[in-house]
Amino acid sequence: MLKSKLLWILTFSLLITAGCRYDMQDQPRYKVYKSSDWFQDGRASRELPEGTVPRGFLRDNKALYTGKIEGVTATAQTNEQGQQITFPDVVSEFPMPVTQEVLDKGEQKFKVYCSLCHGAFGNGDGMIVRRGFPKPPSYNDDRLRNAPVGHFFDVATNGWGKMQGYASQVSVADRWAIVAYIRALQISQNPNKTATTAPTTGKTEEKPVATPTPAPANTNTNVAPKPSNTNSNVKTTNVTNTAAKPTKTGGNK
Amino acid sequence: MAQLFHKSANNIAKASIVGAIVLAGVAGFAYTVIARSSYLTGRYIERQQPVQFSHRHHVGDDGIDCRYCHTTVETTASAGMPPTQTCMNCHSQIWNDSPYLEPVRASYRENKPIKWERVHDLPEFVYFNHSIHVNKGIGCSSCHGDVANMASVYQENTLQMEWCIACHKDPQSNLRPKSEIFNTAFDPSTLSEDEQKKLKEDYKIRSREMLTSCSMCHR
Ligand code: HEC
Ligand code: HEC
Ligand code: HEC
Ligand code: HEC
Ligand code: HEC
Ligand code: HEC
Repeated sequence: MLKSKLLWILTFSLLITAGCRYDMQDQPRYKVYKSSDWFQDGRASRELPEGTVPRGFLRDNKALYTGKIEGVTATAQTNEQGQQITFPDVVSEFPMPVTQEVLDKGEQKFKVYCSLCHGAFGNGDGMIVRRGFPKPPSYNDDRLRNAPVGHFFDVATNGWGKMQGYASQVSVADRWAIVAYIRALQISQNPNKTATTAPTTGKTEEKPVATPTPAPANTNTNVAPKPSNTNSNVKTTNVTNTAAKPTKTGGNK
Repeated sequence: MAQLFHKSANNIAKASIVGAIVLAGVAGFAYTVIARSSYLTGRYIERQQPVQFSHRHHVGDDGIDCRYCHTTVETTASAGMPPTQTCMNCHSQIWNDSPYLEPVRASYRENKPIKWERVHDLPEFVYFNHSIHVNKGIGCSSCHGDVANMASVYQENTLQMEWCIACHKDPQSNLRPKSEIFNTAFDPSTLSEDEQKKLKEDYKIRSREMLTSCSMCHR
């Protein structure tokens, strides 16, 4: 009698432990995108407090990380349509060497992040534009062909008018690679004209290879000095640029 | 003393031995079926999401690349979920008064994340990494199915250990060229054997012993 009772208890406790695997399935630790009741916004992954500089992220090379020149005081000029035509506060040379590798990466990233609006050739006829997004200007008109590379980097980083910035989606190196590819694209679309700040040599029509131009940022400081942030007359502010991180709720049980 | 059991008990005893074996077999079979059922693995089950986001519209119709939203899929373990900002890149201008997008706008206004319901969820004692699969020639559709044609994402495979191992034993037939990784319509089995062999060499796929060693996934 006792034996069978024991057997029942054993069987039952075994059955109960069958449910216990979930302790190991959902451990009390936070994985990426998990939600947390502890914080008000429900995210387990916290954002760094404003002004935190992780080791190795000092980013004191302003030309590389912002595409801008410090201490410029010239105001930008605009044309009749109100489009900005001079860009005094941005660098006009690549702050890193432009190699075939960089161009290849730029092409790949351009096709992921930019061509859906700007079109494969930069003419501003991408799929999302056909679905009703405002049409961006063509990269191949004179204004943008003559714009310095820093302008493209600045737009890709902070946005411009109706376009949002891509800093959170595309890394600094990849943004410069995209700019290099856009330059190559502009040359290939306008073989007879040359953009002022084009990467120099063109090997093939499709993808001109730029000679490495390790342009130190400081050499450009002879550009007309003027305050940098006043030129944003076409540029809407991106103050609400808070990237809300989604959290994923619990498991599938 | 009277006989404790009737004579027929002999037959019952014999029958119960056979019965027990049959029952154990049936129970074992039922277990394997139940363990692989979509009820336990979550396979094919569509989940109610806070926003009716459709991959078919965004990827299939509009041609947006997976990496536009799942930005870290090539570089980290997690594929990355798009922050609300990513949606607003487009939806600040288009469909910006659609009622379907109100949760997105609310999230943006209030700086509160959208709580997507998880579709794929491995147990936490398993280590999984997207970047190595994507960089070594395994396309999204080999594991997630034809996402570009799903109105709402569901789990295409069981995500059980036997499924991982089945591919790790011999990944060759699942490899595809770099250019087709994000193309969910591509079918790796259309490649010839020679092409597959070449891919395997190019990607430097490690040996079967290494890929099936327990510490690879349980670390
Ligand atoms: C969602 C659509 C969209 C995407 C994606 C997009 N852009 Fe734009 N872009 C626009 C629109 C619209 C404009 C015009 C903005 C205006 O003038 O209000 C624009 C303008 C520009 C301009 C011209 C600025 C000027 O001086 O007029 C540059 C340069 C540019 N984008 C670069 C990029 C780069 C680089 C990427 C990829 C990282 C990118 N864009 C991705 C929509 C987009
Ligand atoms: C426009 C942005 C966008 C694009 C492009 C996109 N996704 Fe998604 N994806 C999302 C969002 C938002 C979710 C969460 C909602 C959901 O699960 O439906 C998601 C969820 C998923 C999930 C399920 C994640 C989970 O919870 O387990 C998978 C798998 C997935 N996407 C794969 C892909 C693949 C493969 C592609 C390219 C073919 C792709 N996505 C392109 C935005 C995007
Ligand atoms: C690159 C541009 C782009 C991005 C980024 C984008 N969408 Fe869209 N979305 C569209 C377009 C274009 C449509 C119209 C789809 C169609 O009919 O082809 C759309 C339609 C929708 C709709 C249907 C609206 C309606 O009224 O029917 C929803 C919901 C939606 N998107 C949610 C999202 C969410 C959530 C995200 C962020 C994860 C997102 N979208 C990111 C371009 C985008
Ligand atoms: C080898 C199989 C495999 C491949 C290939 C794969 N995934 Fe996944 N994916 C998974 C598994 C398994 C999970 C669940 C991970 C977890 O629960 O930790 C997942 C989860 C996700 C998620 C949810 C967020 C996360 O990271 O947990 C997204 C989004 C996603 N995958 C997108 C993609 C995209 C886009 C691609 C193609 C570039 C892709 N996956 C390729 C197996 C794969
Ligand atoms: C369609 C084929 C396929 C499937 C399914 C698959 N894998 Fe893999 N996995 C690969 C390939 C190919 C590699 C790379 C092998 C190499 O590096 O030699 C890999 C490598 C890995 C690695 C090694 C990472 C490292 O840093 O060494 C881990 C961990 C892993 N897979 C986990 C999983 C898990 C967990 C699952 C199931 C949820 C899974 N894989 C499903 C094909 C697959
Ligand atoms: C390719 C990756 C991979 C390898 C290699 C691997 N496992 Fe697993 N294992 C998994 C996954 C994924 C699960 C989760 C299955 C599930 O959710 O049902 C798992 C689950 C388990 C479980 C728990 C089963 C349960 O029902 O909860 C055990 C025990 C286990 N593995 C043991 C091992 C041993 C022993 C080895 C070496 C012989 C091994 N695993 C090698 C991926 C792997």
